[in-house]
Amino acid sequence: MFSDIPVDVSPMHEGERIRAANMFVELAGPKSIGAELVQVDESVKDGEYKVIGPELSDMTKGEIYPFCIKIDIKGEKLEKELEGVIERRTHDLCNYVQGFMHLNQRDQIWCRVSTEAIDSGFKLVDLAKALGILFKEEFPIIESISVTILTKKEDVEEFVNKAREIYSARDERARELSDEDVDVFYGCLMCQSFAPTHMCVVTPDRTALCGAINWFDCRASAKMDPDGSIFEIEKGEVLDDVKGEYKNVNEIIAQKTQGETDRVFLHSVFEYPHTSCGCFEAVAFYIPELDGIGIVDRDFSGETPLGIPFSSMAGQCSGGKQVEGFTGLSLEYMRSPKFLQADGAYERIVWLPSEIKESLKEFIPKEIFDKIPTNEEATTISDIKTFLKEKNHPVLERIENTNDGEEGIEATGEIAMEAEPTNQEFVPVASASEMSVPTSGGVKIIFKNAKIYAEKVIIKKK
Amino acid sequence: MIIAVSGKGGTGKTLVSSILVKLLSKKDKNILIIDADPDSNIPEVLGIDVEKTVGDVREELKKDINNGNIPPGTNKWDILDYKIMESIVETQDFDLLMMGRPEGSGCYCAVNNMLRKIIETISSNYDYIIIDTEAGLEHLSRRTTQSVDTMLIVSDSSRRGLHTASRVGKLTEELDLSFKNMYLILNRVKMGNEAELSKKAQETGLEIIGLIHDDKDVVNYDLEGKPLIDLPDDSEPVMVIKKIVDKLL
Repeated sequence: MFSDIPVDVSPMHEGERIRAANMFVELAGPKSIGAELVQVDESVKDGEYKVIGPELSDMTKGEIYPFCIKIDIKGEKLEKELEGVIERRTHDLCNYVQGFMHLNQRDQIWCRVSTEAIDSGFKLVDLAKALGILFKEEFPIIESISVTILTKKEDVEEFVNKAREIYSARDERARELSDEDVDVFYGCLMCQSFAPTHMCVVTPDRTALCGAINWFDCRASAKMDPDGSIFEIEKGEVLDDVKGEYKNVNEIIAQKTQGETDRVFLHSVFEYPHTSCGCFEAVAFYIPELDGIGIVDRDFSGETPLGIPFSSMAGQCSGGKQVEGFTGLSLEYMRSPKFLQADGAYERIVWLPSEIKESLKEFIPKEIFDKIPTNEEATTISDIKTFLKEKNHPVLERIENTNDGEEGIEATGEIAMEAEPTNQEFVPVASASEMSVPTSGGVKIIFKNAKIYAEKVIIKKK
Repeated sequence: MIIAVSGKGGTGKTLVSSILVKLLSKKDKNILIIDADPDSNIPEVLGIDVEKTVGDVREELKKDINNGNIPPGTNKWDILDYKIMESIVETQDFDLLMMGRPEGSGCYCAVNNMLRKIIETISSNYDYIIIDTEAGLEHLSRRTTQSVDTMLIVSDSSRRGLHTASRVGKLTEELDLSFKNMYLILNRVKMGNEAELSKKAQETGLEIIGLIHDDKDVVNYDLEGKPLIDLPDDSEPVMVIKKIVDKLL
């Protein structure tokens, strides 16, 4: 199939790097420009492979040249939406070619040709040919393909600019990709070395807690390293699309966490919140007195309205424990349209560190932005309450509703007790999101989001 | 072939690494030096400048992620791969990858996991890899040095130097890491002190593969800031390590 190509073409050459000492020329990369682009084009002439600009034989050893790969495809079932997915394979397929190194993607590619390849008579047109054959083999829906390589500076500049517009249009679409649009979510067990009962569920709307990997990264990772710690979860039956509960997700979580967790709501801090390894960038925490949710991130070193810093809070809800009222999250998730949607999203947020709030300016609804206090405006619950009242934060309705109605009945049907703050000086003794009190007679008392205050604490030697 | 050079800081790890590079580069093979010691001065002894370390790249990526600067349609593996390649210092004789500073706060599981795979891929392209690993046993316990063929532990004549050497040896056993070879190199040995020191060194349970005396050239090169890789071929350290190389290859 590749008989007229002077170098070997095979997956075994993936991962080949060409040292500067062994290279003939460098193409694109940090010291030049370049891009690659796959486009559906109805006018494509199948099997047309050409180089516009200098061929390798016209280049000088050791030099760096601008470089573009333009791939046009056609096929009955080919849609424009698939361009990005197909384009992503360019990296792997280029690397099948022995003596050709290809890194990264889009307008950030970096290629090198080895001196050995040149000695065997390799030309850029051979690369174009190899790509044409490989793409058709890889994606049978491609019926016709043409590959054009550009190496003239002016052509490359023009092409890169055009390509950038297309990339941003694609990113726009990718940002809009939501949980409903896909059939597969991903599970990540990368942190199980220290949180053996935690599994992260990564969906288009919910990046991993550490913020480092999103749905696209998982897709790449699962493909690149199929036996690795990131794997596919068929989305399957939707149990609750607002809370974000999925039958398959529940099943896989139970299986991967040794039964520790068997139900999870992706978009809520209540009932069955997503568990945390300890890696999260931020924690969302329920503030019972305000019936609102506060958020604190790792970089905030002060105390939160719960009276404890991030580190203590992180300790309480990490390690794969499912603790109602707390959930670890990534900052990126706070930009998601599904951000805690089951709980009321930003209308339920009553406190944020100022830096986070500023960084989320575009994502917090305008009408609510000024109504959320930060550490600069309030740090205690009573100050926050005053602020919320002043600004008429929508959470007030909830507080009123709870106070008017039956004292403290939560939507979950569990009985929550809410202590009225008093004016006496009480010392906080303990604070826990869940605490059970030993009792007898077949009754178990569980305090959720409990805070224990005492007039006096006596510590005695036994 | 992967050779790791380890030992307490200041015992002469970098001297050994740089001479290894000097000798191996004469064989016209592809050589990569991985500097895994944040306190090391490998670039100086090799006579090159380093602009960016893996640590810098890691922080950059974290920052870009936090600020939402990574286009959603791209993947971080590829970006990291590119940036790591960019951080490699390439010379005619060898390439150098600096690990740089240790990570800050926050979660590095994902990034480190990606890094491990990327560095594995890069490494597979070289004939010889020399890893200068920090004196702390971090890398051993994290098993980043698992595929090492030969572990060279360097110690001076101090009790602490030897103590570290024997700890490295023991930890290796405990962690069930299998190096094909593990040897001790004694450095900066005072004239006349050889027999006594060798006896003490035997208590580490490691086989002594070479002994280098206090060397005037090395001291002078250090003082003048001259790269140790340029030490004359007939200097004692170069001759001792040449014997080691001949034995290992």
